[in-house]
Amino acid sequence: MTAHKDLLYSDDVRLLVGHAYRNVASTRGVVADHLYHSDDLARVPATAVDLALGVADHLSHADIQPGDAILDVGCGAGIDSILAAHRAGPDGKVYALDFLPEMLARTTSAAAEAGLDNIEPVEGEMESIPLPAGSVDLVISNGAINLSPRKARAMAECARVLRPGGKLCVADLTVEQDDLPPEVITHPAAWAG
Amino acid sequence: MAGALAERDFVEKLHRAGFQDIEVAHRQPVSIDVLTLYPLFTDELLALMRRLIPEGKQDAVAVAIVVTATRAL
Repeated sequence: MTAHKDLLYSDDVRLLVGHAYRNVASTRGVVADHLYHSDDLARVPATAVDLALGVADHLSHADIQPGDAILDVGCGAGIDSILAAHRAGPDGKVYALDFLPEMLARTTSAAAEAGLDNIEPVEGEMESIPLPAGSVDLVISNGAINLSPRKARAMAECARVLRPGGKLCVADLTVEQDDLPPEVITHPAAWAG
Repeated sequence: MAGALAERDFVEKLHRAGFQDIEVAHRQPVSIDVLTLYPLFTDELLALMRRLIPEGKQDAVAVAIVVTATRAL
C-alpha cells in the first residue's frame, strides 16, 4: 500500500515542488549569509547567492580535488556548483543537475558571470540522472534529495553515476516525524520548504 | 520538510543504495526562526508551526545534517 501511495502522489509532489521553486522569491542572500563563509560568497555572483536555498555548507566536508568530475544534484541557482567548480579547477567539471530549466538558466548565467567554463547544465530528474554509470568522482547535493518522493531511487542513481570508490557529500533536513503535527506535515508548503 | 526522513532512515537508505563508510559529519538544529529565512516556508505554515509545536521544541523542529559516504567498490 505504501508503494502505491508513493507512486500515486509522486507526480503531485513534483508539480508542487516545481511550481514552488519556479516562483520562489529572492532571499536577498540571507540564507547564504547564514550558511556560508563570506570568503566563499565573494566568489559567487549575487544571482546565485540570492536564490541559495540549501540547508548547510556541505562543501566544507567535501574533499574536492583538482580535476574532479562532480555532480550537483538539484543545483538550483548554482551556488554550490560554482563553489565546487572553483575548487575542481579548469581540469575539473561540474554537472549541474536540475529538473527546472529556469534554475539551470540561472546557474549557466551565474557561471558565466563568475568566469567559469567548467560547469555543464544537465536538465533531468534525480530519480533518473542522465549521466553514464561511473562517470563522476563526487556527488554533492544540498537540501534537494528531500524534495523527491522517491528518495531510495534518487540515492541509487547517485550511486550508479559514481565511479567505484567515488564520494558522496550531501546535506538535508531530517525530522522525527512524530515531532511534527500532522497539520504541518500535510501543509502543501511543507513539501517544497 | 514534509519529505524529510529521520536521520537513521536517511542513512539506511544510503546503505541500501550501495554506499559504505557512511558518516554524519555535521548536525545543526534548525529552529522556526531559521525557517523564516526561507521564502518557501510561507507565513501561514510558519504561523501553524508556532501555534502547534510546543515552545520547548521550536528551537529544533528539524536537524540539518551533512552526510559523507563512499560508493562501494
